[in-house]
Amino acid sequence: MITTMNNKGASLKGVLLVFLLISNMFLTKKSVTSLPICPSGSVNCQVSLGELFDRAVKLSHYIHFLSSEMFNEFDERYAQGRGFITKAVNGCHTASLTTPEDKEQAQQIHHEDLLNLVLGVLRSWNDPLLHLVTEVQRIKEAPNTILWKAAEIEEQNKRLLEGMEKIVGRVQPGDTGNEVYSRWSGLPSLQLADEDSRLFAFYNLLHCLRRDSHKIDNYLKLLKCRLIHDSNC
Amino acid sequence: MDLWQLLFTLALICANDSLPTSEVPLGEPQIVKCRSPEMETFSCHWTDGDVHNHTAPRTMQLLYMKRGDEEWKECPDYVTAGENSCYFNTSYTSVWIPYCVKLANENKVFDEKCFSVDEIVLPDPPINLNWTLLNISLTGIHVDIQVRWEPPPTADVRKGWVTLEYELQYKEVNETKWKELEPVCSTTVPLYSLKMGRDYEIRIRSRQRTSEKFGEFSETLSVSFSMASEAVLCAEEIQFPWLFIVIFGTCGLVVVMFLILFSKQRLKMLILPPIPAPKIKGIDPDLLKKGKLEEVNSILASHDSYKPQLYNDDLWVEFIELDIDDPDEKTEGSDTDRLLSDAHMKSHSCLGVKDDDSGRASCCEPDMPETDFSASDTCDGTSDTDQSKKISEKEETLLCLDQKDNNKSFTNLDDPANQQLISQSEDNQSRPPFADSIESLSPVPPVRTQLSNQSSVTNIDFYAQVSDITPAGSVVLSPGQKNKTGRAQCEAHTEPAAQCQSNFTMDNAYFCEADVKKCIAVTSHEEVEPHVQDQSFNEDTYFTTESLTTTAVNPSTAAEEASSSEMPVPDYTSIHIVHSPQGLVLNATALPVPDKEFMVSCGYVSTDQLNKIMP
Repeated sequence: MITTMNNKGASLKGVLLVFLLISNMFLTKKSVTSLPICPSGSVNCQVSLGELFDRAVKLSHYIHFLSSEMFNEFDERYAQGRGFITKAVNGCHTASLTTPEDKEQAQQIHHEDLLNLVLGVLRSWNDPLLHLVTEVQRIKEAPNTILWKAAEIEEQNKRLLEGMEKIVGRVQPGDTGNEVYSRWSGLPSLQLADEDSRLFAFYNLLHCLRRDSHKIDNYLKLLKCRLIHDSNC
Repeated sequence: MDLWQLLFTLALICANDSLPTSEVPLGEPQIVKCRSPEMETFSCHWTDGDVHNHTAPRTMQLLYMKRGDEEWKECPDYVTAGENSCYFNTSYTSVWIPYCVKLANENKVFDEKCFSVDEIVLPDPPINLNWTLLNISLTGIHVDIQVRWEPPPTADVRKGWVTLEYELQYKEVNETKWKELEPVCSTTVPLYSLKMGRDYEIRIRSRQRTSEKFGEFSETLSVSFSMASEAVLCAEEIQFPWLFIVIFGTCGLVVVMFLILFSKQRLKMLILPPIPAPKIKGIDPDLLKKGKLEEVNSILASHDSYKPQLYNDDLWVEFIELDIDDPDEKTEGSDTDRLLSDAHMKSHSCLGVKDDDSGRASCCEPDMPETDFSASDTCDGTSDTDQSKKISEKEETLLCLDQKDNNKSFTNLDDPANQQLISQSEDNQSRPPFADSIESLSPVPPVRTQLSNQSSVTNIDFYAQVSDITPAGSVVLSPGQKNKTGRAQCEAHTEPAAQCQSNFTMDNAYFCEADVKKCIAVTSHEEVEPHVQDQSFNEDTYFTTESLTTTAVNPSTAAEEASSSEMPVPDYTSIHIVHSPQGLVLNATALPVPDKEFMVSCGYVSTDQLNKIMP
């Protein structure tokens, strides 16, 4: 008799505990996210703008580092002796976006515009990177490092884009803006039958990728110093 | 010859391969490098090449073209960057735009390069190097410093246009190879574990974080510690380990001294002290050798269980004399009678007797032979009485023992009984007068009668026979031999003598001698008695201090024998051998022992002994 009563009491307690836990889970579910999205205009955001910029700069630096290495590897392996260097490099597809070309222009441009430009460039590279990953695998005897780097760049680019959208949302609340970006139409060139032409297309693409990643990295560092450190890094 | 040709061609091929893959042949002017220090301007440098090839002075031109231009343009500034250089200032510089430059002389193109400005960034070296002391180690040998510098003034780090990385290199002045630290992004870095008393040189170079190439090195910073630490330096550098030599020399000398001073034997004794021979605690064997018996006795007296049994030579003489004495004289007062009778009379006198100089606590302790005989007699008598009283109780239990539970009882009672018996025997030994009296008591019956009389008064027998052992382990005593009335219990147990044969349980290793005696013809007793008496007198109970093995003969054994008229069971037997601590081997007083084998009375009778006894 007594034991059964004790058992019932224990089970009741257990049920209550479980109920409490579940309710807690549901109630606090919103806050359990990896990167909390602060509603615009809210003061008590968990992640500061400086923190967001730090992360963005790190990502952009990493992407540039990877693309630089990938270009060097590709250059070493496939471009030697083909005279790619001496040829005038074709324009990148992102040339339509008018980005600052030197320091004065970068300093004069408004930070919001610059942020939007960065977003535009990042969006422009979504598609090419995706195809790069698939197409580079078709290169004859492509080394694993190039394949891996292509995949990594593609993923990190997406993350950087997310981060930049957050930052833009913070800095320009309520302004969704036009999603300006350049379309890429270089896919057929990556699938050319002629290997030299194909490799040249890859070379070009990787060259453009390295350049644009450097641009983004520089712009973000500039913005960070300007907005967070008040031009006193 | 073929081999040499082959080798020559191979050498040529190798030389061709090792040539730089530039299209400009050697001796021709070529663009050496194009560099941008801060990503805002850039400049290109070229070489003239071999002069002697061309008579007219060169008028080199550097033409450049940006992507988007249709034609080549000439270098805007040939001067700022120095000779054979072209300087492009900020207005001419666009960062992420590809440039092509070519070195041409009128119509001939010597060299051409294409690049973009962000690829050719090589920052200037940092400036304003200095250092501060972080701390000095406790030993004063090592120093930590913090090196600080400023970024190159040309690079706009503050606005974040250029992000720089720095690499510090340092070395001692007299070294040739520079040590490198990992590149750091900050403008300060600590240097650990520099040695005091040395001079160091430090230099730093920088690079853009995303590139691989470093710029030029900065000016060398000299760090000097030798001036401030000369005293420490002298203290550190041990010219010669004098201290160690002194210490080890001293130790060696000490060891040699030890060996010399102490002979081999002494050293051996020091290191390996000899194991002391077993001896009585507190007694110096030398005492015994010198004959200082009184001292030994005093030492031994401190032990409760020991009653010294030391004799003067006189005692020996007395013993011998006593042997000749007429045993009839001793019928009057046996030692037991004297003990028991004198107990009341002389107890007080005994108490009055003070201790002698031996310093023992009570006069009733075993006395020294040097005391007065009278005094000692009384005291001895008293003490002996006490002792004997104690003994009698024990002996009763022992002697009244029957065949049942012999082993068990013996093991239980062995030690105390033996001790008591020993002590009793020792008592007998130590008192010369007592011994005298003992010796004088050759006929036992008077003793017995006295004993029994005494027992009737005190209701305590001096010696009693163990008649039975209760299951609880206590021993039932039979009263004195003479007075059979008191020994009812023992009587009862002594009755079934006839069933001796059947009573023996052969599983017992030991049998009560009494029982064995019962089974033996009584006639043998009388024959043995005088023999035993002689034995009893001849064999003196004496102890040597070296060993506790005694051949003690209880003088009253004979009395016992004589007294046992109805039963051939001795109440007490003399102690023959003390197998301490296991037990005693008593004289087989009543049994016809073929040889001098001694049987135990109510102690142990082993089966083989039993077999000898039994017909």
